Amino acid sequence: MSLLDAFDPRETGSSTDGILSNRGRFGILALIAALAVLGPVASAVRPFWLYLLIQILVFALLALSLDFVFGYAGLLSFGHAAMFGTGGYAAALLITHVTANALVVLPAAVLTGVVVAAFIGWFSVRARGIYFAMLTLAFAQIFYVIAFADLPSTLLGVETVTGGDNGIVGLATLETFGLLDLSNRMNYYFLTLGLVALSLLAIVRLANSPFGRVLQGVRENEDRMAFIGYDVRRYKVIGFAISGGFAGLAGGLYVPFQSLAQPQLLNWTLSGELVVMLLLGGLGTLWGPMLGAGVVVLLEEQLSGFAAWEVILGSVFVVVVIFAPRGIAGALVSLWEDPEDAIGNVRDALANYREKVMK
Amino acid sequence: MSDPLLRTDSVTKRFGKLTAVSDVSLSIPEGGISSIIGPNGAGKTTLFNLFTGKHAPTEGSIEFRGEEIGGLSPHEIVSRGIVRSYQITNFFSELSALENVRLATQADRTGFGPDDFLRHHASLSDAADEAEAVLERVGLLDVADQTAANLAYGQRRHLEIGIALATDPDLLLMDEPTAGMGPEQTNATVSLIEDIAEDATVVLIEHDMDIVMNVSERIAVMNKGELIARGTPAEISENEAVQRAYLGGE
Repeated sequence: MSLLDAFDPRETGSSTDGILSNRGRFGILALIAALAVLGPVASAVRPFWLYLLIQILVFALLALSLDFVFGYAGLLSFGHAAMFGTGGYAAALLITHVTANALVVLPAAVLTGVVVAAFIGWFSVRARGIYFAMLTLAFAQIFYVIAFADLPSTLLGVETVTGGDNGIVGLATLETFGLLDLSNRMNYYFLTLGLVALSLLAIVRLANSPFGRVLQGVRENEDRMAFIGYDVRRYKVIGFAISGGFAGLAGGLYVPFQSLAQPQLLNWTLSGELVVMLLLGGLGTLWGPMLGAGVVVLLEEQLSGFAAWEVILGSVFVVVVIFAPRGIAGALVSLWEDPEDAIGNVRDALANYREKVMK
Repeated sequence: MSDPLLRTDSVTKRFGKLTAVSDVSLSIPEGGISSIIGPNGAGKTTLFNLFTGKHAPTEGSIEFRGEEIGGLSPHEIVSRGIVRSYQITNFFSELSALENVRLATQADRTGFGPDDFLRHHASLSDAADEAEAVLERVGLLDVADQTAANLAYGQRRHLEIGIALATDPDLLLMDEPTAGMGPEQTNATVSLIEDIAEDATVVLIEHDMDIVMNVSERIAVMNKGELIARGTPAEISENEAVQRAYLGGE
């Protein structure tokens, strides 16, 4: 099965064909190609920009993993930091104690994300909507506290495991049997870009599979799905576990890159920031939240000099939610389809907002 | 007479102090159309909810083809061949009419094998073909690509039936399929129900007495959670307890 099968060009002429139209898929391929060029250019102009690009890619992957369940399947997870963080800690522990081989570390991070998500999901999918959100949040905070208080060291009777609030520091660089020198940041960039691109292909493929279609049905009408023969709970747990695998991979890429695993990776503030990325980018579109991640990382970088950069992020968020309720992705799509009527679109959105919120 | 398709034995459902269904024993033979009638709050819909796994019975048993199904989960009951349609519109409103039905035809063709995650859903072409056949049967093939939320009222009601039909049931439970329809739509829906009853057993909850008397082979009458009468349409229209329940109010 070749990779390009994910860009299955099947045309049924139906709106239900898939999550990304063919044009959208080629748009994404073009974007990946552009990023492959942008990396070296950015690095030549200012090396720091490459660091920023890697950061954006990692959070884009994390936002993608969350959107697969949050936007596409309607599972409102407010605890995705749990899978990101545990994936990252798994990577850090392996690098410190076992091996820094990326072919071991990254799959282990994925597996950790899957296991943690399956655990959280199994308990949480019994609840729905806001209750599901609160359960995932609570579970994630438990993982945060476990890392912060270094509970494993107490249980195992050793001096340190997670390193408490300092985290695990000074990690060795990932290696790949000498195939690719990952201490070279450009190589790390291309590794990350490649894995993010593969993940996007895989998730688009999943979203358009029979399984993905069931998740979409669950989002639309969970009860009816059960009454036409689907074991809804099982679908939700599996969907959540798959999403957790991608979040774990993001953590596994992020921690060696930062050379640091710290409890903040598991904290609810990160989960919350992720939800902002999704809503900003456009829920359920998969590519929108990746753009949203880019915007948030860039804003944070540009504005964190100000003490109150969150105020600015918050303002941007409010403006987007009011004027472009379907996020950046929605705004871009309507601009693409009808460039003449950008103002009209904004007016519609505003009227819509008034009707919904202020009636 | 052969064994009944569905049989309840003293089935009771209580919600706290409220007894919604009380000691109901009835049997539904295979084939044809049966109806359950009764005033609002008589427990008809609760009975459907018990048959389809939304609620587990508090007491008593429900057997389908001789197998106990009371308390099974909804998807397990669907896989045994019982499905219901709803009085209210209860579909996937943001998806197309075709996708609404296709989700139902896909149900028994997918599971959790590698293929179900990796292949494109459109490659389940028999699911799509069958979905189109169902849409044709319920008269919606020409609006297959329209978003369900944008369909006209009568079309929505037929889509609702189509989704249930698409699971290929042996027993189709229909909750007020003609509610809110004009005479012409009602006629079309009644013909559809009669068509469905050619190859599945149909149980109707229906308030329109003309329809009930015309299409049903058997009628069960409920009042205040209890089964107060059962028989042919002719027997039911003569029954004094039924007259009292309907004419005497609550």
